[in-house]
Amino acid sequence: MISANKQIRAARYGMIIDVDRCNGCGACMVACAVENNVPPAHEGATDRKGLTWLRVYKVDNGEEYPNRQTAFIPVMCQHCDHETPCVHVCPQQAVELDPATGVVGEMPQRCLGCRYCMAACPYHARYFNWWDPAWPVGMEKTLNPGVTPRMRGVVEKCNMCHGRWHAAKEQAVAAGKPDTEPVDYLPACAEACPTGAIRFGDLNDPSSTPAKAATEPGSFRLLEKLGTEPKIYYRSKRDWVRAAADAPRPGAGKENPRG
Amino acid sequence: MKTTRREIMMFAGGSAVGVLFTPAPWRLITDTALWSENWPGIPVPAPGETRIKYTNCSLCPAGCAVRARSVGDQPVALFGVPGHPLSHSALCPFGLAGHHLPYLPARLKQGPVNEATAAVAEGIAKCGPAEYVVTLDLRPARTASWTYRRAMAAVKNGRYVAPSAPNAAVAVDLAKARTVLSLGVPLLDGWGTPGNVIAARPGFRLIQADAVESRTASLADQWLRIRPGSEDALAQALAGATTHAAAADATGLAEAEIAALAAQLAQNGPVLVLGSSRLESTGRTIVARRETPVPEEWQKAAPVTDLASLPDGSVRVLLIDESAPGEYLPWQAIARKLAPDSPVVVTFATTREGYGRHAQYVLPAGIYPEVDGDIPPAIDSVAATFRLSTPLVAPPQGMVKPEEFVAAAAGLPVTDTLHERAAAIHKTGRGTLFTYADAKSVALKDVSAGDFWKALQAGGCWIDAPDDKAPAARLTTAATKPRPTEESDLPLTVVVGRELAPASPILSKLYQESNLRLAPNRVALHPSCGLLDGTQAVFETLLGKCPVGVTLDAGVPPGLVHVSVSPALLDLCADGARAKVVRA
Repeated sequence: MISANKQIRAARYGMIIDVDRCNGCGACMVACAVENNVPPAHEGATDRKGLTWLRVYKVDNGEEYPNRQTAFIPVMCQHCDHETPCVHVCPQQAVELDPATGVVGEMPQRCLGCRYCMAACPYHARYFNWWDPAWPVGMEKTLNPGVTPRMRGVVEKCNMCHGRWHAAKEQAVAAGKPDTEPVDYLPACAEACPTGAIRFGDLNDPSSTPAKAATEPGSFRLLEKLGTEPKIYYRSKRDWVRAAADAPRPGAGKENPRG
Repeated sequence: MKTTRREIMMFAGGSAVGVLFTPAPWRLITDTALWSENWPGIPVPAPGETRIKYTNCSLCPAGCAVRARSVGDQPVALFGVPGHPLSHSALCPFGLAGHHLPYLPARLKQGPVNEATAAVAEGIAKCGPAEYVVTLDLRPARTASWTYRRAMAAVKNGRYVAPSAPNAAVAVDLAKARTVLSLGVPLLDGWGTPGNVIAARPGFRLIQADAVESRTASLADQWLRIRPGSEDALAQALAGATTHAAAADATGLAEAEIAALAAQLAQNGPVLVLGSSRLESTGRTIVARRETPVPEEWQKAAPVTDLASLPDGSVRVLLIDESAPGEYLPWQAIARKLAPDSPVVVTFATTREGYGRHAQYVLPAGIYPEVDGDIPPAIDSVAATFRLSTPLVAPPQGMVKPEEFVAAAAGLPVTDTLHERAAAIHKTGRGTLFTYADAKSVALKDVSAGDFWKALQAGGCWIDAPDDKAPAARLTTAATKPRPTEESDLPLTVVVGRELAPASPILSKLYQESNLRLAPNRVALHPSCGLLDGTQAVFETLLGKCPVGVTLDAGVPPGLVHVSVSPALLDLCADGARAKVVRA
């Protein structure tokens, strides 16, 4: 526990995702679900009602063969820094922007399931539990004890593997490091990505990979025009991919697919 | 003013009625319902001491190294091993969720073991002079495969059949290639060792010839959209065996496009050609690989044969090991070979979804990560390797070890074959041992036999010494794919997907809750096909019908149907077959 009178050196955890390296294998989606105890799909779940804290969208340049090009864009909660829309609309204060980490957290125990935050999120990165979480008989033994499964009727989303952050913090304190300093840890998606497309780090640390990459040419953020200052950066050398980042939802025509 | 008892009663009654017209009672009912739903519905993960264990994934021939985070004895997360010289810390989505597989709802838990044992013994005894006892091994070159071969050598008229055996001693050296021409091979979607392919990818230009916009096609430097089944025609033209005009006619590509491709291949060598043996690779990008050593006494083994070499109607006893997934042979091809009068067919499987739909006896086999076994070197491993898939959890009671069953049927003694093979490898003194816990390599000659065995069990990999004199070799490809024939009643041409492995239910994230991958028993069609996305339909070929779901995908050209890999669909069609999809 960090006492209130200590001077905390805040981190701003973020990511840089190299779209040109992503091969759309889906390892990040599976690693995320395993790490965070996201249940397998209910029989009635579709792409609108499913729970995917991180979803890889397949997008194309809209051309026909031979000019057709395709890219894969992993999209999770963008952890908006400025005027965070979901925080503003939550009537229960179940969503908060953690000043110590920059992570937008969700507290399912407070959530009443109104889904205002889902309507407000411009990235469609929040998911509602339409059903009780259920695993096949015996598979509940494989759940990660560091993360509590969520109940039906609440919204959930990426929290940059808060359980891992917590474990890293405990380890650092046990090793005698001050609890006011940011810790090094790795979310499951970044660890699992076989191509190294997802890189994680502290944006406040100028030597971190995301902080350096964020300033390089070709880097961009999704829906940057909204001014929400997401902490997830993307990078691509292809103009059409950068243009796709301004679409309401990568690879889809519908404005609000889960609203 | 004096308040009477009557007024108090009226106020209370009015309030009670009034409250019913406010949202409060309904909200309370909803909340109570939600609250009560949560009591038993949320599983509580069991806490415990966290440990790290190592093994190798045996879900596919890649055999990627695995670091398992376990709580107590239960693995809760799997990741790759950093610094691994072959798998380069990568693990595919199937491997990442491999620890879920023992809990698959469709898993076989019991089977008629005694009845199958008696039937096999009777079948072997009754086997006529022109009949055979056959073991079909979907993943050859394992230590278990050697047991099958020795067992088949020990029984009268025993035959050992393996679909992809001809390439077991051939390796592809991706690091040497500057240009890769892939004729329909899913190079970037699970082929070889995914981590190794990713590591080598910056070094070569990839040209993918594919009928549909597969994952590899969409990520290639150049995608040649050819007609299904025309890979061979393109390879022949590039090899100079036919004219570019003939290839253009068959593939649908422009003549100039084929000429430009030929020029590229001539200029940007070394060239690696995958998916056709008609066109030669250059610069020793395909070489012969030394075999992983085996004990001397194992050499008395049945040779490896292919199914086609067996006469139709000649198989009296067929034992199928499908517990280690590999190349799937359609059931029609197998059924033709069975003796017409009551043949014995036993399959060792984890579910009934494969050959279990046809076999008389389906025996439950262990599943990764609860079985021990070795994983032969992958196709892109230039050196021979030996690594074990060490169990991370104990298998349930009643599981059958296929190699022990077959050995017992042939009268072979049951021994610790993995240990024997490790000893044979150690005796050579060749190569290095890479241990996962410390990511270090050490020369095998500096390790004692006991330590070598212990290291293999705790997470390690033996890698043979490089063989600079290995001769160039050729990959054997499947028989020429049939050119589609026009059949008015079956207007679509089939293109088959490339994945077949047991999958955790969590893979629904890729199949059902997003459309990242084509789910089993689904087909993809061009949006102009007239069906709606998600429609339930019937897929029909000359061999039968199967219910499927429909996915619309602009990457599939009109006139084609992209079929996911599932045994039910593979029994009905192959690449280039004709089909139709109609609303159910």
